[in-house]
Amino acid sequence: MSPSLAERACIVGIGHTEYSKDSGRSELALACAAITAALTDAGLAATDVDGIVKYTMDNNDPVDIARCLGMPELRFFAEVAYGGGGGPLGTLTPAAMAVATGQAKAVIAFRAMNERSGRGTRRFGQAAPTPGAEGRMSYLAPYGLFAPAQMIALAARRHMHLYGTQSQHFGQIAVTCRHHANMNPDAMMYGRPLTLDDHQASRMIADPVRLLDCCLETDGGAAIIVTTPDRARALRHKPVTIAAAGLGAGAWNNRFMVRDIDAPASESTVAARRLFADAGIAHDALDAIYIYDHFTPLVLMALEDYGFCQRGEAKDFIGDGSRFRLPHGDLPLNTSGGNLSEGYMHGMQNTIEAVRQLRGTARNQISNARYALVTAGNAVPTSAMILRANG
Amino acid sequence: MNDSLAFPYPVPEYGTEPYWAACNEQRLVMQRCRACGHFRWQPAPICTRCQAPDHDWAPLSGRGRIYSWTVITHPVHPAAIAKVPYVVVEVELDDQPGLRMIANLLDAAPYAIAFDAPVRVCFEQHPAGQYLPMFRLS
Repeated sequence: MSPSLAERACIVGIGHTEYSKDSGRSELALACAAITAALTDAGLAATDVDGIVKYTMDNNDPVDIARCLGMPELRFFAEVAYGGGGGPLGTLTPAAMAVATGQAKAVIAFRAMNERSGRGTRRFGQAAPTPGAEGRMSYLAPYGLFAPAQMIALAARRHMHLYGTQSQHFGQIAVTCRHHANMNPDAMMYGRPLTLDDHQASRMIADPVRLLDCCLETDGGAAIIVTTPDRARALRHKPVTIAAAGLGAGAWNNRFMVRDIDAPASESTVAARRLFADAGIAHDALDAIYIYDHFTPLVLMALEDYGFCQRGEAKDFIGDGSRFRLPHGDLPLNTSGGNLSEGYMHGMQNTIEAVRQLRGTARNQISNARYALVTAGNAVPTSAMILRANG
Repeated sequence: MNDSLAFPYPVPEYGTEPYWAACNEQRLVMQRCRACGHFRWQPAPICTRCQAPDHDWAPLSGRGRIYSWTVITHPVHPAAIAKVPYVVVEVELDDQPGLRMIANLLDAAPYAIAFDAPVRVCFEQHPAGQYLPMFRLS
């Protein structure tokens, strides 16, 4: 038997709420709505599911969700540290391991938050209103370094210095995600086209990071259900196979969210190391890629670290960005709009879109999509998967 | 004092008080391994190179070079409204390759900041009383 997760678990249900600036309901209500939508999508009853995996940062308690859903028992529960941005595949990985090893029959992974309205979750783009700073933040916050956008600005500037990367290269990622959001009526930024000039005119947040280099802030919920290939046969949709999964972190992730881009390895290179070998494919077999887009400069760094090009070559790899854009691009990126323009569900919305594409049910469907790469946030401990269509 | 008008003050952790105490004497110190002489930052209970348990709080030269920086223009904290634009700098200290810390760069016009520019430590008192290491172009 292969030592990897390859072929031993698959995604059978996806669901999400509307993505908004103010959901008007509790975070528990969002979680229940997303999960029940995913159960319906799968053709499963809550009583068929016996595991829940949550993002560490999620305020919802799995046992509370089990109570609401009428789940009589939970045989598997876990939290994924660094979720947050590291969590979208990080939650799916233990879910997949649980079903692959028989610890559970079917497992829910979810993310639900009122991150934009602040009703339950503090806005990530705002500093915590505390008079003192503790732990690692005691060395950052007294200097006015609070928000992820500010921290990654240091890495972005260093990348520009070392490799000649320019703001326009960051902008092509923002333009790509908005282009796809305008093909997706569910996206928060649907109907709001964006040009590279708009990006260049957007105000500076933390130089060189502009407003339009930053992801959205969103209220909403998203859920995914994982089970075994055997169980999946009886369900509503053709399953999407988890062809490979990887987590990654290094000691350098622990200092602060200031990425050490001079280090030869990164959290992403660790996550990527076995990914393509386990899936048995090369990069050119991918029909779409879902690169976690919290901040556009980090998308460039992820493209380098996942091996699409060498370190420092992302600016050449992306060109004018057209290769990432449907319908003609050779490497469609974040095809529902991503964290930047669909909604910020800590990346789970990207995984859901990958599943839609591999089922053949996406709004802007790629013909005969077989393989997709999905990554979690970089600059923090991360996770990644290669997903494969069936039939 | 109105706390909302200042950035958060540092709350010393158990075991790292000597760093902040030295700052109050306007001295920059970091943990240095007694076994191998390796500086470590941020603080850690054992040497991050050789895992030896003992360390000294050893003085640093206070000199370094700019590894990266950002000019923060969008305030995300009430105190930032009056401070923007301000410069956060990542400094690589001369004392050891890769030994880098975060601070503000004081009295520097954004256009005057450059990679590898030499800087020197200075200290500025937080309204709550604690002195903080800062840098100036040297």
